[in-house]
Amino acid sequence: MNALRRRVRGLTPALKRRTRRLTFPLKRRSRGLTLAQQKAMTGYLFSAPFILGFIFFFLAPFLQAIAFSLNNLVIVAGGYELVYNGWENFRYALFVDAEFVRVFVETLVKMVVEVPSIIFFSFFSALLLNQRFRGRLLARIIFFLPVVMTSGVILTMETGDYMSQLLEQTNTSAASVLVGPLLYSFLMQLKMPREILVYVITVVEHIPEVIRASGIQILIFLAGLQSIPTALYEASRVEGASAWQTFWMITMPMMSPIVLANVVYSIIDSFLSPANALVMYIRDTAFAGAGFGIGTAMGVMYFAAVTIVLAIVVWIVSRWVFYQE
Amino acid sequence: MIRRLIWSQKPTRSLGGDLAVLLFIAAGAAFSSLPLVYVVCNAFKPMNELFVYPPQFFVRNPTLDNFLDLFVLMSESWIPFSRYVLNTVVITLMGTAGHVILASMAAYALSKHRFVGSKLLFSLVILSLMFARQVTAIPNYLIVSRLGWVDTYWAIILPAWAMSLGLFLMKQFMDAMIHDSLLEAARIEGASEWALFWHVVMPNVRPGWLTLIILSFQALWGETHGQYIYSEQLKTLPYALDQVIAGGIARAGVGAAVGVMVMIVPIIVFVVNQSKVIDTMGASGIK
Repeated sequence: MNALRRRVRGLTPALKRRTRRLTFPLKRRSRGLTLAQQKAMTGYLFSAPFILGFIFFFLAPFLQAIAFSLNNLVIVAGGYELVYNGWENFRYALFVDAEFVRVFVETLVKMVVEVPSIIFFSFFSALLLNQRFRGRLLARIIFFLPVVMTSGVILTMETGDYMSQLLEQTNTSAASVLVGPLLYSFLMQLKMPREILVYVITVVEHIPEVIRASGIQILIFLAGLQSIPTALYEASRVEGASAWQTFWMITMPMMSPIVLANVVYSIIDSFLSPANALVMYIRDTAFAGAGFGIGTAMGVMYFAAVTIVLAIVVWIVSRWVFYQE
Repeated sequence: MIRRLIWSQKPTRSLGGDLAVLLFIAAGAAFSSLPLVYVVCNAFKPMNELFVYPPQFFVRNPTLDNFLDLFVLMSESWIPFSRYVLNTVVITLMGTAGHVILASMAAYALSKHRFVGSKLLFSLVILSLMFARQVTAIPNYLIVSRLGWVDTYWAIILPAWAMSLGLFLMKQFMDAMIHDSLLEAARIEGASEWALFWHVVMPNVRPGWLTLIILSFQALWGETHGQYIYSEQLKTLPYALDQVIAGGIARAGVGAAVGVMVMIVPIIVFVVNQSKVIDTMGASGIK
């Protein structure tokens, strides 16, 4: 409490004067409002600029995309025209298009395999990278490198194919050289059921992909770990808690909203990455294939599927999330 | 003795544990850095090594030819090359700064104020996170064009301000790290809402917005933004570099050099940023 008081007092005198000038007249003017209404007003004021932009650049395009999916887009002189054709686009995508359903299911399955491993890996890495060892900054940079490599210009460059082929090549060869033969012979000896074996091997083969997809999650977890007030750790140490107890009683509850954030981020990242097979398929359909209407219909269905998956996951995770009051 | 070398602070676990930790970090680091090492090697390979079969991982006779070629190509461009750099820098800096501030403000309101529709707004933001760019590309363009912003910086900067990821991330950080009693104490001391946001909330979620800066910078820096900007003098650096390597397979080495040049800046930003994050831990929170 004292530290806080010091902080607030520590605001420069000029600022304090300014704050007072700002608050007092405002209070007098708004005498008619209750405290709750005043708080609501500030809420609106603070979120207004963002919400405004949000409505223009996300909500409006989103609604328009839904409209596109229910229409046939026809190019006419001077622009385009929408011809309403109901659920025809959706019917085409589901029952006529040869590839869509297969790619759709494959993408969902891949997400289910990858996201949990990304979360575990990145949380574990963040815990390690948060410790005080020599060369920590260097280690963090190295874990961040995949983010620089796989986004933006590297992917959008016209040589994208050339580069990504190289990346693929280096990763698979590294995986098979480092862990491949040893692990496979080990697994064979365990005599596990075939399904489990297949799952383990799939996960192992995905290790390079998981590591490359974890860069941002590691960063977010690190930031979370660093935001936990040290006072909590000091208090638990004074109470005689072991490191194990401290982790489960302090770190996990404090990090739980960040874990939720990262789960949501990973699902969305895996669903929307330009390298995602279904995203590529939708793009090709919309801009080079069966037409923009059908492409958006596929997009809307995909969106609905992601929403359902996300709603289920968020519901499960948030039962366990701890929020500050 | 070994532990002295490893830890910069008092160690708390067994030597075996230390080694396991280091091994894990080393393995992860190997996977993460391999592709980059490969691209960097490629950038220094002379032509004959680039196309040798079977492909070589490391460079044998490093040369600066690829970079020299790149500079020659740059100096021949129609618009002075510095102009492309300026465009990208302006877009990236303005986009990042605006996004971080506006998203944090909105996140503060959604996290710590209850008002009619706040829950609905937040659900909408989460929904919008999920909508593929490819699908909203055309409506987005129509809106920018109706606002008359096509072929200006604003076509890129303003949509970047409204990206929903930042709002979501900052809200989670504020939910987790800001205790309501902290805000109440500051209110009793007479702080205005703005002072509260700027001097109490933001310092406490500093690692959060430093991370957001990296994310936003990274997203804006690498994009070509080709669909919104037509005037040559307004085009971005990645766009120009794109043109440089559009010359085909003969520019493979130059392509790798371009890759290295484009990646260096986000890495530098990351290093500066992270060195600011490191010791915020002791500085914040309730005592």
